[in-house]
Amino acid sequence: MKNSTITGRFCRSSIVGAALAVFTLGSADAIAWSLEEAAAPYKGATIRTVGEALPPLEAMNKLKSEFEKRTGIEVVIEMYEHSEAVNKVMLDLNSKRGRYDFILQPHRELGRFVTNGHLEALEKYMSNEKLRDPSFNPEKQLYQSLWKEISWYEGKVYGFPFTALTMYMWYRDDLLNDPKEKSGFKAKYGYELKPASNWQEYTDISEWFHRPDEGFYGTALQGKRHEALWYEWLNFLYSFGGDMLDTKSGSECGPVIVNSPEAVASLEYYKSLMAYSPADTLNYTWDDVMALMQQGKVYQMIMWNDATYAVAEDHEASTVAGKMGFDIVPQGDGGKIGQVEGWTYLVPAYSKNQEAAYLFIQWMMEENQQLNQHLNGGATARPDVYAHPDVQKISYSKASMDTNAVAQSKPTIPESPQITDILVRELSGYMSDAKSAQEALDASAVEISKLLGSCAPMKYPVQ
Amino acid sequence: MMTRVLDHGVAPLLLIPSVILLLVILVGPFFYMVWTGFTDLHYALPGRDGAFVGFDNFRRLMQDDPIFWHSFLLTLKFVFWVVLVEFIFGFALAMLLFHYIKQHRFILTMLLVPMMLAPIAVGLIWKLLLSGDFGMFTYYMRMIGIFDQQTSVLGNASLVMPAIMMIDVWQWTPFVTLVMLAGLLSLPKEPFEAAVMDGARPVQVFKDVTLPLMRPIIALVLLLRGIDAFKEFDKVFILTGGGPGISTEMLSIYTFRINFKDWDLSYGAVCAFMVYLVVLIMCSVFYKAVYWNQGRSKPTQAVTS
Repeated sequence: MKNSTITGRFCRSSIVGAALAVFTLGSADAIAWSLEEAAAPYKGATIRTVGEALPPLEAMNKLKSEFEKRTGIEVVIEMYEHSEAVNKVMLDLNSKRGRYDFILQPHRELGRFVTNGHLEALEKYMSNEKLRDPSFNPEKQLYQSLWKEISWYEGKVYGFPFTALTMYMWYRDDLLNDPKEKSGFKAKYGYELKPASNWQEYTDISEWFHRPDEGFYGTALQGKRHEALWYEWLNFLYSFGGDMLDTKSGSECGPVIVNSPEAVASLEYYKSLMAYSPADTLNYTWDDVMALMQQGKVYQMIMWNDATYAVAEDHEASTVAGKMGFDIVPQGDGGKIGQVEGWTYLVPAYSKNQEAAYLFIQWMMEENQQLNQHLNGGATARPDVYAHPDVQKISYSKASMDTNAVAQSKPTIPESPQITDILVRELSGYMSDAKSAQEALDASAVEISKLLGSCAPMKYPVQ
Repeated sequence: MMTRVLDHGVAPLLLIPSVILLLVILVGPFFYMVWTGFTDLHYALPGRDGAFVGFDNFRRLMQDDPIFWHSFLLTLKFVFWVVLVEFIFGFALAMLLFHYIKQHRFILTMLLVPMMLAPIAVGLIWKLLLSGDFGMFTYYMRMIGIFDQQTSVLGNASLVMPAIMMIDVWQWTPFVTLVMLAGLLSLPKEPFEAAVMDGARPVQVFKDVTLPLMRPIIALVLLLRGIDAFKEFDKVFILTGGGPGISTEMLSIYTFRINFKDWDLSYGAVCAFMVYLVVLIMCSVFYKAVYWNQGRSKPTQAVTS
């Protein structure tokens, strides 16, 4: 008994001692580590990156000067339109030129890059004491589900989220609270005008505000044959309880369910909204509908969080800044949903300045930079940034957080961009009346199943 | 002295740099493309590093790719209609300028403006004009009651292809006019004077003198426009990206998609090879069309004798 007490005391003392030692050493490390020292071996280097020309990258472009001043490492940022940014990287990686020291890419490309050996796993940098900032703890500082979905592949970390994107509902809050509109709406539909919480309400509200003779439209669909069409439809697909593949994570292959009854219903419903959309809706991408909203020509739409700033907060670019409201996508049988999408920092295997690139990425992930970027149109994956009072004041913060909490994964396997391409083509065919919803999704399912092979049988076989 | 030096074998040596350049930038890449068609090279999928697969890609193209054949037929229709309409309008305009308008230089300069624009610029201009929301073309069509409020040319599968053809005709008819007018101006006067002396009517002069004399020019213009139309890419890419659905997915757009969206470079090489093959066949056909009747076709002698 006594012995055990002594042993117990010894153990407790040891644990306390060890904890103190770890704490002290950790603190010493935290004090000892500095960006300037870590970057000293790479002083004079130039690191180059490429990404999509949108507010988050423009914000990074403004922030980089501080890093350059502190480290002596020059950062060159190339900005292109979405597809161009993806194509540039694909060519660079396959040519193994190493033009880019780190890249910013949509996470659906992850599988392609990883399985072809184009990326450097970041574990070796994260465990390198000289490079790793002890105060950087992505395991605690990031939304884990978003980080793992956007920047991990098959259990390995390849990057950090540049933007944790998702889509939610944009609507005109000023019109929603207009007493005349409220009373008129209630008289016609028998219930209060409020942000749509289900698809019937979404249709009613779109119909109510659809006034083409006045140049004002209930909604605006992104119907061009373009990735935008696929992304937009995914909100409806998930909300109706459907999906593309029956899998648990983006890096898995599984049965094809894109032609399920839920998927067909979601597509038919999606097309029904064309009646409240401008005539040119089949020629719109995200840029076009964003411009329409900025011009004050649309009541509501489903749109991206990284485009929200330019509409809701930028008074120079938007006629409706300060007049917007945001909410999670209306609910269908699938309940509350959102979609995980993100651009991620990645380090190519052919980069000649991998360490310097890692240091810059790590620095950008710090709370200060994330906050600054987020306030200028970014979409951070750090919960502490969302909790910041300045961010709480932003009109779309709550919608972003609510959607992030229920966001679903999408395929990131090597074939995922081809899956997207197949669906874009077929969805566009349906939207232009070339085929029925069932035919379009059946054709997609057959082609996707064939593309993926034995891991992706069709759960809803085509007769 | 110089002639003697060239006669002694120096002349071929002077051609070597040009030949090397052509080999490097034309012949080499072409054979590499053909070789790639026999491999499984795919930039996106792991394990497809360019292993030899024989005729697999060609088999896939022939037996298992309905979209390719849709694109192929769509492209042939596009070439047929735009070249036909451009030729008729261009020739008619050239005849008009040749016969009735003496000071045609200013008019010709004005006509050439669409042709001098970059295809990307043409696409963007027409994208604005055809916009369903604020496009001038759509506005007037609605005003005269041809379009309703929901009609959008670029979003309508049955209107979009004729619209793209119309734009091509707008852009390239001046080219046909220019070449045909140059041809008409270069024709000898004697056959026409002889025909008039013999009492030939204008239609007869056109049919029996002008057309036979213009045959090489006509063949040239059809060939150049045919090849160019077959490769049409920029305008379609800007205006529709191949959509809606696959209604404007012409062969060049489809090939681009296979190569630079799917990154299936081996199959993309086969698609590109097909484009080359068709252009080659077109060239041969036109060449034969020009020279097939050369022995018999001697309008100058026929009329004057």
